[in-house]
Amino acid sequence: MLLWLILLPILSFANSSSTDEKVIGIFYMKPILGHVHQSSVKTSASLTTIQCSHPVKVIESSKVSTGTEWAYVQVGDHRGFILKEYLATKRPDCFQGKYPKFFDAVNLDLAELYYWGRLYDHYIQVETRVH
Amino acid sequence: MTIIFRLKLAFISLFFLILSSSAFGQKIIEEKELELVNFKTIKKVLQQDGLTQSAEQKKKQVTVLKNAKAQEEKNRYLYPSEDEIWGFTSEYWLVKNAQVLGWDFEKPDYGLDASFKEMMEKLGFYQKKFKILLLNTPLIVRATLPGDGESIHLLSVPFIRSLDLSRLEISLLLLEDYFRMEEGYFKDAVRTEKLKTLAGKDFKGAKPDLSLLSELVKNYDQHVNKKGYTFQQQFEITKKMDAHLKSHPELWNVYFRLLGKIERFLKVNIQYKDYVKLYPSPAMQIKWLSPAEKVL
Repeated sequence: MLLWLILLPILSFANSSSTDEKVIGIFYMKPILGHVHQSSVKTSASLTTIQCSHPVKVIESSKVSTGTEWAYVQVGDHRGFILKEYLATKRPDCFQGKYPKFFDAVNLDLAELYYWGRLYDHYIQVETRVH
Repeated sequence: MTIIFRLKLAFISLFFLILSSSAFGQKIIEEKELELVNFKTIKKVLQQDGLTQSAEQKKKQVTVLKNAKAQEEKNRYLYPSEDEIWGFTSEYWLVKNAQVLGWDFEKPDYGLDASFKEMMEKLGFYQKKFKILLLNTPLIVRATLPGDGESIHLLSVPFIRSLDLSRLEISLLLLEDYFRMEEGYFKDAVRTEKLKTLAGKDFKGAKPDLSLLSELVKNYDQHVNKKGYTFQQQFEITKKMDAHLKSHPELWNVYFRLLGKIERFLKVNIQYKDYVKLYPSPAMQIKWLSPAEKVL
């Protein structure tokens, strides 16, 4: 009983610290290029640009509020935000994956890579429902 | 004594006869070994165990995997198919013209997604995908590009503001543009001979011919900035709008008034003088929509 009383606060503390941050799973980038944002705002600064099919670790943290549209993610050393609609649970079929030699030959420069990612921040996407 | 001797002899002979006959019926070790290596003799056993079938299945699987791998390797050196190149080229064009088009800017949420979706569903357009990109320039008022299974609609915010367009009015402009895309006017206008010959083809052993992309981009520029649509195409689209909106008089009236609004606006705004060349013309569209006057 005495041991239980000693262990209880330790165990409860351990439990709360583990639920503080949880890995939801590995997801994959859907658009051809996209940004990991500094905050959950489309116009916020880009931490890094990632390509279609790039794996991202989606994290749930009590310290970070994301809203319903955004996912809190880790990509390499960066932790930031990506719109949930741009994440897939399975590796998507990507243009650059399907036509790698053609895509490489296009040889996009850094500014073009950046703008291509921004494009997906600015699109207003509309999808009508299934009849 | 002789009888006993003869009996013994007969008994020994019989014993050897039996022994030799039994030895003759047995198989030698080499013979048994041969049987073991002779597949024919164990074929039945393998067939009974299903091992032959599984070996054949495995062989087929290996062939399928080998072929898939070879196809995958071949695909790495393919030009995109025509269906797949449109979305890529449109976005490439948007990226190349990012500064001129001025789409990378902070804008208020106009709620266009909800209003356009509602109107399209009201008109019976289900399971359709659209991308809308707002431009911070009066240079390009509107354009629609083919996307990857959807249409990409470009719309100038200065134009929207100058005309003080409502969400419904904007949605009707987008509907017009959607019909243009559905009719294939844009693709027909920008498609090149090179696209027709190279799309989906193999370029292994050589560098891909990127003039395929640069020629398309050039045609995009021409069509969006200079060529636009013909009177005939505009007539077809106006008639299509008329047909779809007829059963929704409230939408038809908004559309009709919108054309009048644009026509009046263009007359006094020299900044948008090229609009009529690209989309001829709101005045004609009004005429095409108006009921024929009866001569008494």
